[in-house]
Amino acid sequence: MAGCLPMHFPVVAAAWQAMMKDEFLLHGVTSSTGGCAILVIVNGPVRLEIGANPGFNALANSDRATTVIGRALRLGLINLLDVRPGGIDRTTLGHPGKFSYCLAEDEEDTGWQPLSFVRGIPEGVSAVTVMAAMAPRQIMNEWTTDPREILETFAAEMRANQLHYSIYGGNYAIVIPKQLCEHIERAGWTKRDIADFLYERARVRRAEWADVGKGSIVRNRGTRIHTALESPDHLLVIAAGGPAGGFGAVIPPWMGSKTKAVTAAIGACVDCEPPKG
Amino acid sequence: MILRVLDPTNEIKATGDRPAVRPSSLQGKTIGFISNGKEGTKGYFTQLERMLREKLGVGQVIWRTKSNYSAPADAHIIAEIPKWDAVVTGVGD
Repeated sequence: MAGCLPMHFPVVAAAWQAMMKDEFLLHGVTSSTGGCAILVIVNGPVRLEIGANPGFNALANSDRATTVIGRALRLGLINLLDVRPGGIDRTTLGHPGKFSYCLAEDEEDTGWQPLSFVRGIPEGVSAVTVMAAMAPRQIMNEWTTDPREILETFAAEMRANQLHYSIYGGNYAIVIPKQLCEHIERAGWTKRDIADFLYERARVRRAEWADVGKGSIVRNRGTRIHTALESPDHLLVIAAGGPAGGFGAVIPPWMGSKTKAVTAAIGACVDCEPPKG
Repeated sequence: MILRVLDPTNEIKATGDRPAVRPSSLQGKTIGFISNGKEGTKGYFTQLERMLREKLGVGQVIWRTKSNYSAPADAHIIAEIPKWDAVVTGVGD
């Protein structure tokens, strides 16, 4: 389906296993007016086996593998679960990620731990992570090498999303290409340091809603602080993108913490019964 | 060259579920409202309750709100449904 080759199928199957977990809330994710797509992040040796390219154009038409895996998932939702626009899918706008929204992490150009390892999958095991995700919001900061300044730009974009879209905390993903990765890593920062920093910096006061036309729902809770992340663990830090350019992307959650990102090992039969006899 | 096109749709047909019997009148009946909890439900259901009571003689209206507006109704709400004569749900945006 969708141009998938047999070698892509284990990735598609693992993504389905992850999407079917209760905490992912597949019904809400696929039917909501909010219009998220399902972001798929591929880690481990399988990336190289299937020809996934975590470099140039990582979030778009980077390679056949990620394109067809993301497309197969959407076609599966449509053809198997009948998730069609105007039917079960009540999305108001949606975004282009609903065609395909899959990328591989760049594990070769950074010393950082892969996303799957951070989320509990043993080192060297291939895995997929699925997240109910809005469109990527691109940032640019080419004028510093200081991790704090670079990450302030990411934090500002997360705050903007809190005010303009949804104030509630959930899984955010950030994509950091090589140029900014190198600045941050050279300063000794790990993915955990990034998550701790953004947990502290990406937060807004409810009263700030009034600055963006949402004053009527501030009510008497104006001093209340809303963090973009419920905890640092809810940030997905992904190294990916072409080698040049001080860009990055913030990928916001569909709707707060109603859904949780799920990571599943590829080729592991998570819910299988043990063989009988 | 022969091009073989497969039907990718689900072959399983749902069976076993039938719509509940429709009441011929709502006079004196108990109606359940299952709100998804969004702001818009308050005005909508308030007006609907008034209309059901005044125009159709509904006896009792039970309000319930889901704990998560994007998930199916909570089990304790589903368990209450057999006590009602009809249910209104699926609104709120």
